[in-house]
Amino acid sequence: MTQFAALLRALSEAGVEYIVIGGVAASIHGSVRSTLDVDIVYRRTPENIRRLVLALTPHHPYLRGAPPGLPFRWDEATIQRGLNFALTTDLGDLDTLGEIVGGGGYDALLATTEVVHAFDLDCRLLRLDRLIEVKRAAGRPKDFEAIAELELILARRRSSAS
Amino acid sequence: MTEPGRSSIDDIIDVYKRDVDVSLIVENLKRSVEERLERLTAFQSFIEEMRVARTSSDR
Repeated sequence: MTQFAALLRALSEAGVEYIVIGGVAASIHGSVRSTLDVDIVYRRTPENIRRLVLALTPHHPYLRGAPPGLPFRWDEATIQRGLNFALTTDLGDLDTLGEIVGGGGYDALLATTEVVHAFDLDCRLLRLDRLIEVKRAAGRPKDFEAIAELELILARRRSSAS
Repeated sequence: MTEPGRSSIDDIIDVYKRDVDVSLIVENLKRSVEERLERLTAFQSFIEEMRVARTSSDR
């Protein structure tokens, strides 16, 4: 089971610069669809990669779906030489993404984010309109239902604001 | 036929929109962010318990 708040807390308390995307961002925006993991885009600076390592190491990150016993090390070299990691941790499943299709990396996404305060922490997530755009850009048929729901939420939000 | 300025993907997503239960969205939008995330965790917990129970009943 993924402890959504605990995962975000671990990242925030370590000072990791990250943006929540995917199903958790959709839920925060009002989606009623369920999700099993947390997806984040992390900033790929050496300092932030170091913070990401420190944040997750106590929670034993490992490559999700990989056979046990592989010589995987959650360290700065591994992250610097890779980009996107689908992880399982003691707090649940976490996808740490250096870049996403249609959105790029942390710095490219930053202008289209917002910060929500919940569980005594500030959580930066992708804005609803941008979340729809990146889901559309990914072009995955499995996302069509989610996009439909998010567009209806956006339409409601805009109509209530006007 | 797809209207000008739209793609076939727009048409597909419109088909999906017909099946979205808007009443669930309306209720969810009344909840705080914390309540929404707590409901996600509670749902996962429920499913985990049901899976364990099902596995036990198979034995």
